[in-house]
Amino acid sequence: MRVVSQKISGWIAKLGWVWVDGQVAQISRRPGATTVFLTLRDPSADLSLTVTTNRDVLDLGAPNLEEGARVTLHAKPDFFPARGTLSLRADEIRQVGLGELLARLERLKKLLAAEGLFDPRRKRRLPFLPGRVGLITGRASAAERDVLTNARRRWPSVDFRVVNVAVQGPTAVPQIIDALKVLEADESTDVIVIARGGGGVEDLLPFSDEALCRAVFACRTPVVSAIGHETDAPLLDYVADVRASTPTDAAKRIVPDLGEEIRVIRQARQRLDRAVRGLLDREQHRIDAIRSRPVLARPQVMIEQRTADVTALRDRAGRSLDHRISAAAGDLRHTVARLRALSPAATLDRGYAIVQGRAGHVVRAASEVAKGDVLRVRLASGELSTTVDEASEENR
Amino acid sequence: MTDENLSYEQARAELATVVERLEAGGISLEESLALWERGERLADICQHWLDGARERLDAARQQAGAEA
Repeated sequence: MRVVSQKISGWIAKLGWVWVDGQVAQISRRPGATTVFLTLRDPSADLSLTVTTNRDVLDLGAPNLEEGARVTLHAKPDFFPARGTLSLRADEIRQVGLGELLARLERLKKLLAAEGLFDPRRKRRLPFLPGRVGLITGRASAAERDVLTNARRRWPSVDFRVVNVAVQGPTAVPQIIDALKVLEADESTDVIVIARGGGGVEDLLPFSDEALCRAVFACRTPVVSAIGHETDAPLLDYVADVRASTPTDAAKRIVPDLGEEIRVIRQARQRLDRAVRGLLDREQHRIDAIRSRPVLARPQVMIEQRTADVTALRDRAGRSLDHRISAAAGDLRHTVARLRALSPAATLDRGYAIVQGRAGHVVRAASEVAKGDVLRVRLASGELSTTVDEASEENR
Repeated sequence: MTDENLSYEQARAELATVVERLEAGGISLEESLALWERGERLADICQHWLDGARERLDAARQQAGAEA
Protein backbone atom coordinates (compact mmCIF):
# COMPACT_ATOMS: atom_id res chain seq x y z
CA MET A 1 0.00 0.00 0.00
CA ARG A 2 2.73 2.44 1.00
CA VAL A 3 4.72 1.63 -2.10
CA VAL A 4 1.74 2.06 -4.39
CA SER A 5 0.83 5.34 -2.71
CA GLN A 6 4.40 6.57 -3.01
CA LYS A 7 4.56 5.58 -6.67
CA ILE A 8 1.31 7.39 -7.44
CA SER A 9 2.54 10.40 -5.48
CA GLY A 10 5.80 10.35 -7.40
CA TRP A 11 4.02 10.18 -10.73
CA ILE A 12 1.70 13.01 -9.91
CA ALA A 13 4.55 15.11 -8.52
CA LYS A 14 6.16 15.00 -11.95
CA LEU A 15 3.19 16.82 -13.49
CA GLY A 16 3.82 20.51 -14.07
CA TRP A 17 1.96 23.73 -13.35
CA VAL A 18 -1.05 24.48 -15.50
CA TRP A 19 -3.60 27.24 -15.96
CA VAL A 20 -7.10 25.90 -15.44
CA ASP A 21 -10.35 27.57 -16.37
CA GLY A 22 -13.55 26.45 -14.75
CA GLN A 23 -16.69 27.14 -12.76
CA VAL A 24 -16.84 26.99 -8.97
CA ALA A 25 -19.32 24.28 -7.89
CA GLN A 26 -18.62 24.43 -4.19
CA ILE A 27 -16.47 26.50 -1.87
CA SER A 28 -15.61 25.77 1.74
CA ARG A 29 -13.92 28.41 3.84
CA ARG A 30 -13.44 27.03 7.35
CA PRO A 31 -13.00 29.70 9.95
CA GLY A 32 -9.45 29.70 11.26
CA ALA A 33 -8.19 27.29 8.63
CA THR A 34 -5.62 28.55 6.17
CA THR A 35 -6.53 26.04 3.48
CA VAL A 36 -9.59 26.56 1.32
CA PHE A 37 -11.22 23.77 -0.67
CA LEU A 38 -12.96 24.41 -3.98
CA THR A 39 -14.80 22.07 -6.30
CA LEU A 40 -14.11 23.19 -9.87
CA ARG A 41 -16.34 22.10 -12.74
CA ASP A 42 -16.05 22.32 -16.47
CA PRO A 43 -18.85 24.66 -17.65
CA SER A 44 -19.90 22.52 -20.60
CA ALA A 45 -19.09 18.92 -19.49
CA ASP A 46 -19.69 16.79 -16.43
CA LEU A 47 -16.16 16.92 -15.00
CA SER A 48 -14.89 18.20 -11.71
CA LEU A 49 -11.73 18.42 -9.65
CA THR A 50 -10.95 19.47 -6.12
CA VAL A 51 -8.78 22.52 -5.71
CA THR A 52 -6.89 23.38 -2.58
CA THR A 53 -5.43 26.75 -1.98
CA ASN A 54 -4.28 29.14 0.67
CA ARG A 55 -6.78 31.66 2.02
CA ASP A 56 -4.33 34.48 1.24
CA VAL A 57 -4.19 33.36 -2.40
CA LEU A 58 -7.98 33.39 -2.57
CA ASP A 59 -8.28 36.78 -0.86
CA LEU A 60 -5.70 38.25 -3.18
CA GLY A 61 -7.16 36.99 -6.50
CA ALA A 62 -10.85 36.38 -5.80
CA PRO A 63 -11.91 37.78 -2.42
CA ASN A 64 -15.67 37.64 -3.07
CA LEU A 65 -15.70 34.28 -4.79
CA GLU A 66 -19.08 32.57 -4.78
CA GLU A 67 -20.41 29.33 -6.14
CA GLY A 68 -21.21 29.49 -9.87
CA ALA A 69 -18.46 32.03 -10.66
CA ARG A 70 -15.91 31.50 -13.41
CA VAL A 71 -12.32 31.30 -12.24
CA THR A 72 -8.94 30.84 -13.74
CA LEU A 73 -6.27 29.40 -11.55
CA HIS A 74 -2.62 28.47 -11.66
CA ALA A 75 -2.26 25.04 -10.14
CA LYS A 76 -0.26 21.85 -9.89
CA PRO A 77 -1.82 18.38 -9.53
CA ASP A 78 -1.20 17.16 -6.00
CA PHE A 79 -1.72 13.75 -4.41
CA PHE A 80 -2.77 13.68 -0.78
CA PRO A 81 -1.52 10.30 0.48
CA ALA A 82 -3.39 10.39 3.78
CA ARG A 83 -6.72 10.13 2.00
CA GLY A 84 -5.56 8.97 -1.42
CA THR A 85 -7.18 11.93 -3.08
CA LEU A 86 -6.05 13.96 -6.04
CA SER A 87 -6.43 17.73 -6.01
CA LEU A 88 -5.12 20.79 -7.73
CA ARG A 89 -2.97 22.97 -5.53
CA ALA A 90 -3.46 26.54 -6.68
CA ASP A 91 -1.06 29.41 -6.01
CA GLU A 92 -3.05 31.96 -7.97
CA ILE A 93 -6.79 32.27 -8.43
CA ARG A 94 -8.67 34.90 -10.38
CA GLN A 95 -12.35 35.37 -10.70
CA VAL A 96 -13.33 35.74 -14.36
CA GLY A 97 -15.70 38.65 -14.68
CA LEU A 98 -16.26 40.90 -17.63
CA GLY A 99 -13.14 42.80 -16.60
CA GLU A 100 -11.13 39.58 -16.57
CA LEU A 101 -12.44 38.61 -20.00
CA LEU A 102 -11.28 41.98 -21.25
CA ALA A 103 -7.99 41.56 -19.40
CA ARG A 104 -7.52 38.22 -21.16
CA LEU A 105 -8.18 39.88 -24.46
CA GLU A 106 -5.63 42.50 -23.50
CA ARG A 107 -3.02 39.82 -22.80
CA LEU A 108 -3.81 38.05 -26.06
CA LYS A 109 -3.55 41.40 -27.78
CA LYS A 110 -0.09 41.96 -26.29
CA LEU A 111 0.97 38.46 -27.29
CA LEU A 112 -0.21 38.87 -30.86
CA ALA A 113 1.33 42.34 -31.04
CA ALA A 114 4.64 40.93 -29.79
CA GLU A 115 4.45 38.28 -32.51
CA GLY A 116 4.01 41.04 -35.07
CA LEU A 117 0.43 40.25 -36.12
CA PHE A 118 -0.52 43.93 -35.81
CA ASP A 119 2.63 45.26 -37.46
CA PRO A 120 1.62 48.10 -39.82
CA ARG A 121 4.39 46.95 -42.19
CA ARG A 122 2.60 43.61 -42.56
CA LYS A 123 -0.66 45.25 -43.62
CA ARG A 124 -1.69 44.71 -47.19
CA ARG A 125 -3.03 47.63 -49.15
CA LEU A 126 -6.54 47.39 -50.47
CA PRO A 127 -6.85 47.42 -54.25
CA PHE A 128 -8.15 50.74 -55.56
CA LEU A 129 -10.95 48.96 -57.34
CA PRO A 130 -11.42 45.29 -56.35
CA GLY A 131 -12.47 42.80 -59.02
CA ARG A 132 -14.62 41.00 -56.48
CA VAL A 133 -15.35 41.62 -52.83
CA GLY A 134 -15.77 38.68 -50.47
CA LEU A 135 -18.20 39.46 -47.66
CA ILE A 136 -18.40 37.30 -44.53
CA THR A 137 -21.42 38.26 -42.45
CA GLY A 138 -24.60 37.06 -40.81
CA ARG A 139 -27.47 35.98 -43.04
CA ALA A 140 -29.86 38.85 -43.88
CA SER A 141 -28.12 41.00 -41.27
CA ALA A 142 -28.13 44.77 -41.10
CA ALA A 143 -24.35 44.58 -41.53
CA GLU A 144 -24.75 42.69 -44.81
CA ARG A 145 -27.29 45.20 -46.07
CA ASP A 146 -25.15 48.18 -44.99
CA VAL A 147 -22.07 46.91 -46.78
CA LEU A 148 -23.89 45.92 -50.00
CA THR A 149 -26.07 49.03 -50.23
CA ASN A 150 -23.35 51.56 -49.49
CA ALA A 151 -20.75 49.92 -51.70
CA ARG A 152 -23.16 49.79 -54.65
CA ARG A 153 -24.15 53.40 -54.10
CA ARG A 154 -20.51 54.41 -54.45
CA TRP A 155 -19.58 52.02 -57.24
CA PRO A 156 -22.67 50.51 -58.92
CA SER A 157 -20.86 47.68 -60.69
CA VAL A 158 -19.12 46.30 -57.58
CA ASP A 159 -19.15 42.48 -57.53
CA PHE A 160 -19.79 40.73 -54.21
CA ARG A 161 -19.43 37.15 -53.12
CA VAL A 162 -21.30 36.85 -49.84
CA VAL A 163 -20.64 33.98 -47.44
CA ASN A 164 -23.17 33.85 -44.61
CA VAL A 165 -21.95 32.55 -41.26
CA ALA A 166 -22.96 32.52 -37.63
CA VAL A 167 -21.59 35.72 -36.12
CA GLN A 168 -21.96 34.76 -32.48
CA GLY A 169 -21.96 31.61 -30.41
CA PRO A 170 -19.63 28.63 -30.45
CA THR A 171 -19.92 27.95 -34.20
CA ALA A 172 -19.01 31.49 -35.26
CA VAL A 173 -15.23 31.12 -35.20
CA PRO A 174 -14.98 27.85 -37.18
CA GLN A 175 -17.52 29.09 -39.74
CA ILE A 176 -15.74 32.39 -40.23
CA ILE A 177 -12.40 30.63 -40.61
CA ASP A 178 -13.93 28.26 -43.19
CA ALA A 179 -15.42 31.22 -45.06
CA LEU A 180 -12.01 32.89 -45.09
CA LYS A 181 -10.50 29.76 -46.63
CA VAL A 182 -13.21 29.62 -49.30
CA LEU A 183 -12.73 33.28 -50.27
CA GLU A 184 -8.94 33.06 -50.04
CA ALA A 185 -9.08 30.19 -52.55
CA ASP A 186 -11.21 32.29 -54.93
CA GLU A 187 -8.66 33.98 -57.19
CA SER A 188 -11.09 36.66 -58.33
CA THR A 189 -11.67 37.89 -54.77
CA ASP A 190 -9.38 40.87 -54.20
CA VAL A 191 -10.56 41.90 -50.75
CA ILE A 192 -12.44 40.20 -47.91
CA VAL A 193 -14.77 42.02 -45.53
CA ILE A 194 -15.78 40.54 -42.20
CA ALA A 195 -18.84 42.48 -41.03
CA ARG A 196 -21.10 42.29 -38.04
CA GLY A 197 -23.43 44.78 -36.42
CA GLY A 198 -23.11 46.00 -32.86
CA GLY A 199 -23.58 43.75 -29.86
CA GLY A 200 -22.51 43.06 -26.32
CA VAL A 201 -18.90 42.38 -25.48
CA GLU A 202 -19.66 38.65 -25.17
CA ASP A 203 -21.38 38.65 -28.55
CA LEU A 204 -18.30 40.13 -30.16
CA LEU A 205 -15.89 37.70 -28.46
CA PRO A 206 -15.58 35.43 -31.54
CA PHE A 207 -13.97 38.39 -33.34
CA SER A 208 -11.21 38.44 -30.77
CA ASP A 209 -10.57 34.72 -31.06
CA GLU A 210 -6.91 33.84 -31.38
CA ALA A 211 -7.47 31.21 -34.09
CA LEU A 212 -9.47 33.68 -36.16
CA CYS A 213 -6.80 36.38 -35.71
CA ARG A 214 -4.13 33.98 -36.90
CA ALA A 215 -6.25 32.85 -39.86
CA VAL A 216 -6.78 36.49 -40.90
CA PHE A 217 -3.08 37.22 -40.52
CA ALA A 218 -2.27 34.25 -42.75
CA CYS A 219 -4.62 35.48 -45.50
CA ARG A 220 -2.91 36.69 -48.66
CA THR A 221 -6.05 38.58 -49.61
CA PRO A 222 -6.44 41.89 -47.73
CA VAL A 223 -9.04 41.67 -44.98
CA VAL A 224 -11.26 44.51 -43.79
CA SER A 225 -12.67 44.28 -40.29
CA ALA A 226 -16.07 45.92 -39.81
CA ILE A 227 -17.34 44.82 -36.44
CA GLY A 228 -19.93 46.58 -34.31
CA HIS A 229 -19.88 50.27 -33.65
CA GLU A 230 -17.18 52.91 -33.64
CA THR A 231 -16.24 52.15 -30.02
CA ASP A 232 -15.91 48.37 -30.42
CA ALA A 233 -12.38 47.16 -30.95
CA PRO A 234 -12.16 43.38 -31.18
CA LEU A 235 -8.68 41.99 -31.88
CA LEU A 236 -9.76 41.36 -35.46
CA ASP A 237 -9.64 45.15 -35.90
CA TYR A 238 -5.92 45.10 -35.08
CA VAL A 239 -4.92 42.12 -37.16
CA ALA A 240 -7.05 43.05 -40.19
CA ASP A 241 -5.31 44.97 -42.97
CA VAL A 242 -7.89 47.73 -42.70
CA ARG A 243 -10.14 48.53 -39.77
CA ALA A 244 -13.53 49.96 -40.64
CA SER A 245 -15.47 51.44 -37.74
CA THR A 246 -18.81 50.11 -39.03
CA PRO A 247 -20.11 48.03 -41.94
CA THR A 248 -21.05 51.29 -43.69
CA ASP A 249 -17.50 52.56 -43.26
CA ALA A 250 -16.23 49.27 -44.76
CA ALA A 251 -18.23 50.00 -47.91
CA LYS A 252 -16.38 53.30 -48.20
CA ARG A 253 -13.01 51.62 -47.77
CA ILE A 254 -13.44 48.85 -50.34
CA VAL A 255 -14.70 50.79 -53.35
CA PRO A 256 -14.04 54.33 -54.57
CA ASP A 257 -16.85 56.82 -55.08
CA LEU A 258 -17.59 56.82 -58.81
CA GLY A 259 -18.86 60.41 -58.90
CA GLU A 260 -15.87 61.66 -56.94
CA GLU A 261 -13.44 59.75 -59.15
CA ILE A 262 -15.03 61.17 -62.29
CA ARG A 263 -14.71 64.68 -60.87
CA VAL A 264 -11.07 64.13 -59.93
CA ILE A 265 -10.27 62.74 -63.37
CA ARG A 266 -11.98 65.69 -65.03
CA GLN A 267 -9.96 68.11 -62.92
CA ALA A 268 -6.76 66.23 -63.63
CA ARG A 269 -7.56 66.35 -67.33
CA GLN A 270 -8.08 70.08 -67.23
CA ARG A 271 -4.80 70.60 -65.43
CA LEU A 272 -3.07 68.29 -67.87
CA ASP A 273 -4.55 70.24 -70.73
CA ARG A 274 -3.46 73.58 -69.31
CA ALA A 275 0.01 72.30 -68.58
CA VAL A 276 0.57 70.92 -72.08
CA ARG A 277 -0.91 73.96 -73.79
CA GLY A 278 1.20 76.25 -71.65
CA LEU A 279 4.28 74.31 -72.57
CA LEU A 280 3.40 74.41 -76.27
CA ASP A 281 2.74 78.15 -76.12
CA ARG A 282 6.05 78.81 -74.41
CA GLU A 283 7.92 76.75 -76.97
CA GLN A 284 6.05 78.49 -79.79
CA HIS A 285 7.22 81.83 -78.41
CA ARG A 286 10.79 80.61 -78.28
CA ILE A 287 10.71 79.42 -81.87
CA ASP A 288 8.96 82.62 -82.98
CA ALA A 289 11.61 84.66 -81.21
CA ILE A 290 14.41 82.76 -82.92
CA ARG A 291 12.73 83.04 -86.30
CA SER A 292 12.23 86.77 -85.87
CA ARG A 293 15.95 87.39 -85.32
CA PRO A 294 17.23 89.36 -88.35
CA VAL A 295 19.61 86.65 -89.50
CA LEU A 296 16.67 84.32 -90.06
CA ALA A 297 13.80 86.73 -90.68
CA ARG A 298 15.68 88.82 -93.28
CA PRO A 299 18.13 86.50 -94.97
CA GLN A 300 18.38 88.91 -97.92
CA VAL A 301 20.42 91.15 -95.62
CA MET A 302 23.40 88.88 -96.00
CA ILE A 303 23.12 89.21 -99.80
CA GLU A 304 22.41 92.92 -99.66
CA GLN A 305 25.34 93.51 -97.37
CA ARG A 306 27.65 91.78 -99.78
CA THR A 307 26.07 93.50 -102.78
CA ALA A 308 26.77 96.82 -101.12
CA ASP A 309 30.35 95.73 -100.50
CA VAL A 310 30.78 94.82 -104.19
CA THR A 311 29.25 98.10 -105.34
CA ALA A 312 31.48 100.07 -103.04
CA LEU A 313 34.56 98.23 -104.26
CA ARG A 314 33.51 98.71 -107.85
CA ASP A 315 33.04 102.42 -107.23
CA ARG A 316 36.41 102.66 -105.62
CA ALA A 317 37.95 100.81 -108.54
CA GLY A 318 36.19 103.11 -111.02
CA ARG A 319 37.19 106.22 -109.19
CA SER A 320 40.73 105.02 -109.00
CA LEU A 321 40.86 104.41 -112.76
CA ASP A 322 39.27 107.75 -113.57
CA HIS A 323 41.85 109.49 -111.54
CA ARG A 324 44.66 107.82 -113.32
CA ILE A 325 43.16 108.53 -116.73
CA SER A 326 42.68 112.15 -115.82
CA ALA A 327 46.23 112.39 -114.64
CA ALA A 328 47.49 110.80 -117.82
CA ALA A 329 45.43 113.19 -119.95
CA GLY A 330 46.90 116.16 -118.07
CA ASP A 331 50.38 114.85 -118.65
CA LEU A 332 49.64 114.48 -122.32
CA ARG A 333 48.37 118.03 -122.69
CA HIS A 334 51.37 119.38 -120.91
CA THR A 335 53.72 117.37 -123.03
CA VAL A 336 51.97 118.47 -126.23
CA ALA A 337 52.23 122.08 -125.11
CA ARG A 338 55.89 121.65 -124.44
CA LEU A 339 56.28 119.93 -127.76
CA ARG A 340 54.48 122.75 -129.41
CA ALA A 341 56.62 125.31 -127.64
CA LEU A 342 59.78 123.62 -128.88
CA SER A 343 58.54 123.45 -132.53
CA PRO A 344 60.56 125.47 -135.13
CA ALA A 345 57.40 126.17 -137.14
CA ALA A 346 56.94 129.57 -135.57
CA THR A 347 60.48 130.55 -136.53
CA LEU A 348 59.98 129.31 -140.06
CA ASP A 349 56.81 131.41 -140.24
CA ARG A 350 58.88 134.45 -139.70
CA GLY A 351 60.89 133.64 -142.90
CA TYR A 352 63.73 131.56 -141.53
CA ALA A 353 64.58 128.29 -143.22
CA ILE A 354 66.29 125.18 -141.95
CA VAL A 355 69.02 123.74 -144.10
CA GLN A 356 69.76 120.07 -143.74
CA GLY A 357 72.52 118.09 -145.26
CA ARG A 358 72.14 114.89 -147.06
CA ALA A 359 72.31 112.90 -143.84
CA GLY A 360 69.63 115.08 -142.36
CA HIS A 361 71.89 117.04 -140.05
CA VAL A 362 71.20 120.73 -139.72
CA VAL A 363 73.79 122.89 -141.50
CA ARG A 364 74.94 125.69 -139.27
CA ALA A 365 78.20 126.75 -141.00
CA ALA A 366 79.32 127.14 -144.67
CA SER A 367 82.37 125.09 -143.83
CA GLU A 368 80.11 122.13 -143.25
CA VAL A 369 79.28 121.90 -146.92
CA ALA A 370 81.21 121.77 -150.17
CA LYS A 371 80.43 122.83 -153.70
CA GLY A 372 78.09 120.45 -155.36
CA ASP A 373 76.43 119.16 -152.06
CA VAL A 374 72.69 118.70 -152.27
CA LEU A 375 70.91 120.37 -149.40
CA ARG A 376 67.36 120.31 -148.25
CA VAL A 377 65.82 123.64 -147.34
CA ARG A 378 62.77 123.44 -145.05
CA LEU A 379 60.47 126.45 -145.27
CA ALA A 380 57.45 127.43 -143.24
CA SER A 381 55.47 125.78 -145.91
CA GLY A 382 57.09 123.02 -147.97
CA GLU A 383 60.80 122.34 -148.73
CA LEU A 384 63.32 122.81 -151.47
CA SER A 385 66.23 120.79 -152.77
CA THR A 386 69.27 122.86 -153.74
CA THR A 387 72.84 122.39 -154.83
CA VAL A 388 75.75 124.39 -153.33
CA ASP A 389 77.43 126.67 -155.96
CA GLU A 390 79.88 128.26 -153.62
CA ALA A 391 80.62 128.08 -149.93
CA SER A 392 82.51 130.92 -148.29
CA GLU A 393 83.66 131.39 -144.73
CA GLU A 394 82.09 134.34 -143.13
CA ASN A 395 84.59 136.76 -141.72
CA ARG A 396 83.31 138.28 -138.71
CA MET B 1 16.30 61.87 -93.62
CA THR B 2 18.26 62.09 -90.42
CA ASP B 3 16.57 65.47 -89.89
CA GLU B 4 13.29 63.83 -89.32
CA ASN B 5 14.74 61.92 -86.34
CA LEU B 6 15.65 65.11 -84.52
CA SER B 7 13.68 65.65 -81.37
CA TYR B 8 12.15 69.06 -80.81
CA GLU B 9 14.79 69.89 -78.22
CA GLN B 10 17.64 68.80 -80.49
CA ALA B 11 16.27 70.85 -83.37
CA ARG B 12 15.76 73.89 -81.15
CA ALA B 13 19.24 73.66 -79.67
CA GLU B 14 20.84 73.37 -83.10
CA LEU B 15 18.71 76.21 -84.39
CA ALA B 16 19.97 78.43 -81.58
CA THR B 17 23.56 77.51 -82.46
CA VAL B 18 23.01 78.27 -86.14
CA VAL B 19 21.53 81.67 -85.33
CA GLU B 20 24.41 82.49 -83.03
CA ARG B 21 26.94 81.64 -85.72
CA LEU B 22 25.06 83.68 -88.29
CA GLU B 23 24.85 86.62 -85.91
CA ALA B 24 28.51 86.37 -85.02
CA GLY B 25 29.35 86.88 -88.70
CA GLY B 26 32.84 86.42 -90.11
CA ILE B 27 31.87 83.48 -92.30
CA SER B 28 31.80 83.07 -96.06
CA LEU B 29 28.70 83.78 -98.12
CA GLU B 30 28.44 80.18 -99.14
CA GLU B 31 28.64 79.06 -95.55
CA SER B 32 26.17 81.77 -94.51
CA LEU B 33 23.67 80.56 -97.07
CA ALA B 34 24.12 76.98 -96.01
CA LEU B 35 23.66 77.98 -92.38
CA TRP B 36 20.58 80.00 -93.19
CA GLU B 37 19.04 77.10 -95.09
CA ARG B 38 19.85 74.83 -92.17
CA GLY B 39 18.25 77.32 -89.80
CA GLU B 40 15.07 77.47 -91.86
CA ARG B 41 14.94 73.70 -91.99
CA LEU B 42 15.43 73.42 -88.24
CA ALA B 43 12.79 76.08 -87.58
CA ASP B 44 10.40 74.09 -89.78
CA ILE B 45 11.15 70.94 -87.84
CA CYS B 46 10.45 72.73 -84.56
CA GLN B 47 7.22 74.16 -85.90
CA HIS B 48 6.23 70.75 -87.21
CA TRP B 49 6.69 69.26 -83.78
CA LEU B 50 4.65 72.01 -82.15
CA ASP B 51 1.87 71.80 -84.73
CA GLY B 52 1.79 68.02 -84.40
CA ALA B 53 1.62 68.25 -80.63
CA ARG B 54 -1.28 70.71 -80.87
CA GLU B 55 -3.13 68.47 -83.30
CA ARG B 56 -2.72 65.48 -81.03
CA LEU B 57 -3.86 67.52 -78.08
CA ASP B 58 -6.94 68.77 -79.92
CA ALA B 59 -7.73 65.30 -81.22
CA ALA B 60 -7.44 63.82 -77.71
CA ARG B 61 -9.63 66.62 -76.34
CA GLN B 62 -12.27 66.06 -79.00
CA GLN B 63 -12.28 62.34 -78.30
CA ALA B 64 -12.55 63.01 -74.58
CA GLY B 65 -15.36 65.46 -75.28
CA ALA B 66 -17.17 62.89 -77.43
CA GLU B 67 -16.85 60.23 -74.75
CA ALA B 68 -18.01 62.44 -71.91
